[in-house]
Amino acid sequence: MDLTGGFGARSGGVGPCREAIGLESLHLGDEFRQLVTTLPPENASGSFTALLELPPTQAVELLHFTDSSSSQAAVTGIGGEIAPPLHSLGGTLAFPSNSVLMERAARFSVIATEQQNGNISGETPTSSVPSNSSANLDIVKTEPAETDSSQRLISDSAIENQIPCPSQNNRNGKRKDFEKKGKSSTKKNKSSEENEKLPYVHVRARRGQATDSHSLAERARREKINARMKLLQELVPGCDKIQGTALVLDEIINHVQSLQRQVEMLSMRLAAVNPRIDFNLDTILASENGSLMDGSFNGTPMQLAWPHQAIETEQSFHHRQLPPPPTQQWPFDGLNQPVWGREEDQADGNDNSNLMAVSENVMVASANLHPNQVKMEL
Amino acid sequence: MVESLFPSIENTSESSPESRRKKPRISETAEAEAEIEARRINEESLKRWKTNRVQQIYASKLVEALRRVRQRSSTVNETDKVVSGAAREIRETADRVLAASARGTTRWSRAILASRVRAKLKKHRKAKKSTGNCKSRKGVTEANRIKLPAVDRKLKILGRLVPGCRKVSVPNLLDEATDYIAALEMQVRAMEALAELLTAAAPRTTLTGT
Repeated sequence: MDLTGGFGARSGGVGPCREAIGLESLHLGDEFRQLVTTLPPENASGSFTALLELPPTQAVELLHFTDSSSSQAAVTGIGGEIAPPLHSLGGTLAFPSNSVLMERAARFSVIATEQQNGNISGETPTSSVPSNSSANLDIVKTEPAETDSSQRLISDSAIENQIPCPSQNNRNGKRKDFEKKGKSSTKKNKSSEENEKLPYVHVRARRGQATDSHSLAERARREKINARMKLLQELVPGCDKIQGTALVLDEIINHVQSLQRQVEMLSMRLAAVNPRIDFNLDTILASENGSLMDGSFNGTPMQLAWPHQAIETEQSFHHRQLPPPPTQQWPFDGLNQPVWGREEDQADGNDNSNLMAVSENVMVASANLHPNQVKMEL
Repeated sequence: MVESLFPSIENTSESSPESRRKKPRISETAEAEAEIEARRINEESLKRWKTNRVQQIYASKLVEALRRVRQRSSTVNETDKVVSGAAREIRETADRVLAASARGTTRWSRAILASRVRAKLKKHRKAKKSTGNCKSRKGVTEANRIKLPAVDRKLKILGRLVPGCRKVSVPNLLDEATDYIAALEMQVRAMEALAELLTAAAPRTTLTGT
């Protein structure tokens, strides 16, 4: 953004004269220095120096050209500069050694000459950027070892073209990746920073994967579904070990059906118990403390045990001997007191006081369930 | 929350690109984004069903509704058949209360709440309309039955189980199923506790008599 701002500021009434260019390039240099100094903490976005991976002074020198000869010299110097880092990094890749580098140097000289000729406006950086990316593509296409990455780059540039409002940072960040592709054979996903701003979900293709838009969309869709399946697997007990979507879905369906059956059983139990609500309330109040401490609420580990117990309780419906849930001493926490206090305030002088007490008990019982989660959200 | 997640990913991906080259980069690709998004959705919904507050709301509403159901059913003479009828009512009441606790953010909750209205309308219109739209059930005629792939079949079954999710897209269906399972678990726990309380508190009364 500094780039565009800076360039835009200078665009007014810039003549093609060299002195003006010199002055402007000085301004440029200042901005670049600013950018460069802010580069390391940021993600090295938005500067040509990041592209070149050069010390800032040389990059500034690149733009300070006043004559083509020096530009050529500087470019070749820079081109020579580029070679060692790339060779050191891209050991596995066979660059056609000099042709690519000279092409790149030529590209940089294109930048330099453009700015030399005084086409300095707010558009040059943006116009040079697509030219860079397209030039990059051309260069990439010539590289034999990088056919996949060329497709990647095409797709990435295609994705880039979808960006409604290209932020310089993102584009230059991606170009930095292009430069770095000698480093990493696989790409990192830089589009995560775009997702904050854009409605698209950008997917970066990995090495060896097809990159046409259909398969990209397909892959995004699949990954969404897989993410959700993973969450379901975590939710449903016993699904972690299972491989394969169909079996996991089987388990999920079984779980949902069992839960629904449990609700049916419990509703039958409650239906049987319901007529006795009025009778039981005093006894409830009396015996609630004891029953609550037994941990009538069970946590998720007991989920699997419940179907068995529920089925048993159906047969032993009137049987007093309900299989007792394993006693888990849920510690009473401070939630107990405020719950009681709050409900008692409401229950004063009510005909429903007994029932509110019942609800109190259930609340306290529910408080037992997650003593650590004292969240009053929602 | 999503924004707070992203900077951490960016930093980690930027800091050591070379060292990560060989490791499986599950955390850095688009899978991570989908996963993060799904996790965000699900953590919110799952935490929602686990908070004490939700349970308290559900419990209190359940008790109120049960009381009303009891009052309504007490007018009918008590036979064994009524138990199952009452059980159905209780289940529907419980489901409705559950759906109400969801505050209309999920599809199944809206479907449950809407189905009651639809059932009431159906009762009134029972004289006029006798047949429902059963043709729409069979998407494929018997003659040329094509076996859908197993996963799709199961997804359809899941869609039938979760109320109101028959024609819902797959990722939405999975989201709804997640929330529904969490809600059902909470419902089971609440009803279980309530039943325990009520039955445990009545050891002496007509349990053995009936």
